[in-house]
Amino acid sequence: MAYMLNVGERSDPNVEVHKFYGGAVLAVCLLALVFQAFLHKYGRWSELIDLPLLVTIYFGVSRRNPVTGLFLGGTIGILQDALSHDNPIGMYGIAKTIIGYLASSIGGRIDTEHPLSRFALVFFFFHFHQIILAITQRVLLNHSAPLFTLRLLLDSLVTAAFAVPLFALLDRLRRPS
Amino acid sequence: MIDTYSRHRPLALLAIVVVAQVMLLAFQIKGEHDVRLIRYWAVALVTPLERAGTWSFSKVGGAWGGYVGLRNARAENDRMRIELDQLRLRNRELESQAAEGQRLSTVLNFRNAHPEASMLAAQVIGSSADPTSHTLFINRGEHDRLRMNMGVVTPDGIVGKIVEVLPNTAQVLLINDKDSGVGALFSATRTHGVVRGSGDPEPRMEYVVNDEKVQTGDAIATSGEDRIFPKDFPIGTVESAKPGNPFQVIRVQPSARLDRLEEVLVLLSQQEVVFKKPEAPATAAAGAPAAEAAHGGAAPAKAAPANSSAAPQ
Repeated sequence: MAYMLNVGERSDPNVEVHKFYGGAVLAVCLLALVFQAFLHKYGRWSELIDLPLLVTIYFGVSRRNPVTGLFLGGTIGILQDALSHDNPIGMYGIAKTIIGYLASSIGGRIDTEHPLSRFALVFFFFHFHQIILAITQRVLLNHSAPLFTLRLLLDSLVTAAFAVPLFALLDRLRRPS
Repeated sequence: MIDTYSRHRPLALLAIVVVAQVMLLAFQIKGEHDVRLIRYWAVALVTPLERAGTWSFSKVGGAWGGYVGLRNARAENDRMRIELDQLRLRNRELESQAAEGQRLSTVLNFRNAHPEASMLAAQVIGSSADPTSHTLFINRGEHDRLRMNMGVVTPDGIVGKIVEVLPNTAQVLLINDKDSGVGALFSATRTHGVVRGSGDPEPRMEYVVNDEKVQTGDAIATSGEDRIFPKDFPIGTVESAKPGNPFQVIRVQPSARLDRLEEVLVLLSQQEVVFKKPEAPATAAAGAPAAEAAHGGAAPAKAAPANSSAAPQ
């Protein structure tokens, strides 16, 4: 059961951990946030893709360290909340903290290099992220948020399709092992 | 114990971080507080990059937009120029058709107004190659029952007479040709004379004595005595008149625009046609000479002007 999800355990020391050039992680995360906020000005099509989520997933599965993953996800989420102006701080933070943790945990256990597995992984995390957001909004904010809609399905497919070339691009930032 | 902690450390951290954020959320919602500091830092972190991005986008977008716009403008300019040329050509064609329609309409109206006169419409297809000869060719000939000496008119006035008939064309001698002569009279005074071509664009009215009062603008019409043109059909107006020896020298401005004829009417019968007669004093004709003109340079055959002793040449 090598591919079973075991979020509580430490990463297998035999699993390859990808390292990146200095500052690459920080720069990419920042750029993702900037682009997400920036592209919003140029049309609603940018709402289809959640770039900070993609970056969280990518670095989570690449670094394969749950602690790093959850902090990275949490930081990205909180910054996303802070830049959204109408979201309370923590809404995206909670969701992305959990996604970062899960992505890091999964990264060491399944093949995350194949485009199809990346597509499936992003598709799955997108909906999981949405479920956490919806629960947070319903329970803590008393807002009605959908768990699943056709629009969300379309968004998830677009995001997953976009993730495949984006992840291939980000692979170039890896330091050769 | 230590091993258990280290094994579950990430999970514990996750719980701590999530709980901390839940509490932060609760703090913001319950107390309606805003965490301004975090927002301030986030904005301070991202805004310079956004500003740089906006600047780059606007510059690149502007340059690209300008380039594409310029290319499109050039292509559009070329396309519109071609279109404009085509439209100009089409416009000229339509204008020409409209003018032709108007001319034909005038000719048709004239013909309908005189059903008693047998006329045939003809189109001018050419003119004489000799600049001193004022003749033109029409697209009707012997097959259309055209004969020599038939009168050619337009609704504005007389044009000339047929001097040569070929199977499908005919040659028309214009009234301003030096070999041409038309029996004429002043519409107002009924004084007779002969309008002869001089080789100039304007023909002259001859055999009018010096005592006769002639003023610029006086209307001149056919007298009908040449048996070619019906009586009282407009020839032209007096352009200038001055005393001469033995007769006045009167230059006539033809009513028909002889230099730009396109459609004409050929009078098929030489029977008398009653055209609109301009109002003229009844006494004006008294004592006026009856001058009969024959084409081809013929002088009045019947009588010289009453006040003149000299015979017309």
